[in-house]
Amino acid sequence: MIKKVKGMDSEFQEYASKVESEINRGISTLCILSIISQYAEDGIYGYQISKDLHELTNEMLIIEEGTLYPILRKLEDDNIIKSEREKAGRKRKFYYITEHGEKVYNYLSGFYSKLTEAIAPLFDVIVDLKQSKYLYCPACANKIDITNLDAKFCDVCGHYIEKDLKERGLRNE
Amino acid sequence: MSETSMQNSVKEFLKDVKKALPDWLKDKKEHKGILADLEEHIWEKARELSETGQPTEESVRKAIDHMGTPQSIAKEYKRRGTPKVYITAEMWPLYIKVLTVVFAVIIVLNAVGLVFNVLSGTVDLGQLIEGLANGIQLGLLFSFVIISIIFVVLSMEGYFPEDLKSKKKLKEEKKRIAAGKPPKVFIKPVGEIIGGGIGLIVGIVFLVQPFPTYMFVADFLLLLRFFGILMIIGGLVDITRGVIGNRNPGTHQVIHVFKILLKIAAIPFLVVLMNRPEIFPWFSTPWVFVGIPAEFYDAYRIGMIVLIVIVALTTIDDIYKIIKLESYKLK
Repeated sequence: MIKKVKGMDSEFQEYASKVESEINRGISTLCILSIISQYAEDGIYGYQISKDLHELTNEMLIIEEGTLYPILRKLEDDNIIKSEREKAGRKRKFYYITEHGEKVYNYLSGFYSKLTEAIAPLFDVIVDLKQSKYLYCPACANKIDITNLDAKFCDVCGHYIEKDLKERGLRNE
Repeated sequence: MSETSMQNSVKEFLKDVKKALPDWLKDKKEHKGILADLEEHIWEKARELSETGQPTEESVRKAIDHMGTPQSIAKEYKRRGTPKVYITAEMWPLYIKVLTVVFAVIIVLNAVGLVFNVLSGTVDLGQLIEGLANGIQLGLLFSFVIISIIFVVLSMEGYFPEDLKSKKKLKEEKKRIAAGKPPKVFIKPVGEIIGGGIGLIVGIVFLVQPFPTYMFVADFLLLLRFFGILMIIGGLVDITRGVIGNRNPGTHQVIHVFKILLKIAAIPFLVVLMNRPEIFPWFSTPWVFVGIPAEFYDAYRIGMIVLIVIVALTTIDDIYKIIKLESYKLK
């Protein structure tokens, strides 16, 4: 972001830009994963991911578009996502989240949400975790969709979530 | 700007990306797909940035700018592995393995040199031990520095151990894993049993000596008996390996250690034989009845040195196998 600003003190700009890219690194992977998971059925190709990333983050999360592909490759190597190339036409590579990837994403998304909530007071901001929609596992912060009322355990750490659901009135006593 | 000119700009950019990509990735067919994806991305972006919906000189240039530099793209591919003291955690086991093999080779070679010098009696013991310590110290230090530098560079380039394997081997491994087959065999049991059997028979002949012994010098016959004992033990060990087959890699490792000791035990006898050419059949009565010219002794000694070196080098093969068997234990 700060790279775009012209005529700044170069020392400040260099330092801020370095820290900014450090902060962006992990977050951009998580956001890419979030976008791919939204296209679970149809899959999504590289350019569309980059476009969504810009639009959905109000152009705040900027990555050099060429660096998107190494990130996708790493996610594929780690079996978080899988890909399939179009057999005809433009032969674009479509990416899909794997079952394992979904589990990893839910956990990381939960962890990140709880983290932002926890650090929010440091920056004098408010974070709404939409507790009515999700349960964040008290043991590991995994994000559990509470519309799935059959779940009794956290699928990441195995924590018994029945009590937490009862407290929210989602389970009968 | 003409279409050709726009295409050239894109091609130029892709060429620079290809140049900057790490070698392990360039070796794979996959890099063509990567470049194709980047190209597709640039054109789509250029269409979007253009007011007419068709790429223009300006929109292509902007689209390329949005991609980042070829170096930054390549850097992202190189950012692979978990950092661990400058060498990634993924490369660490291979680094330790290579260091162990090289250190073992240096120590074995120095130890063989020591035995060789002791038995040839040319240098006093104090000097020998000092020479051994210096040799090992220098060898270890030198190899440690070189190997460490190589692995740091490989880690920085984002290499993984599998990138150093041949394509054929990787294909075989993939097939094996897909078929759920156990790891590839590490010995051929029949070969080991036949080889061990031959060694056993020759060893028994050397020990029992069922031939006209008057044709040989007594000292040579004594040495032959020692070799016979070692060969019998070696033969039995090989037969045991054959019987165990491709199981219990831990036991095979112990057997290899035993084989190293056997080989080292044979070296002093070979050195004695080298130093006493006059007892060797070709140079002793009744095989030869005339005096032997000195140059024959030298040729004989050279032959014996070669033999000793071969024996020493085969111990390196045993060390390598001990380390290699570790991976079979894990699977």
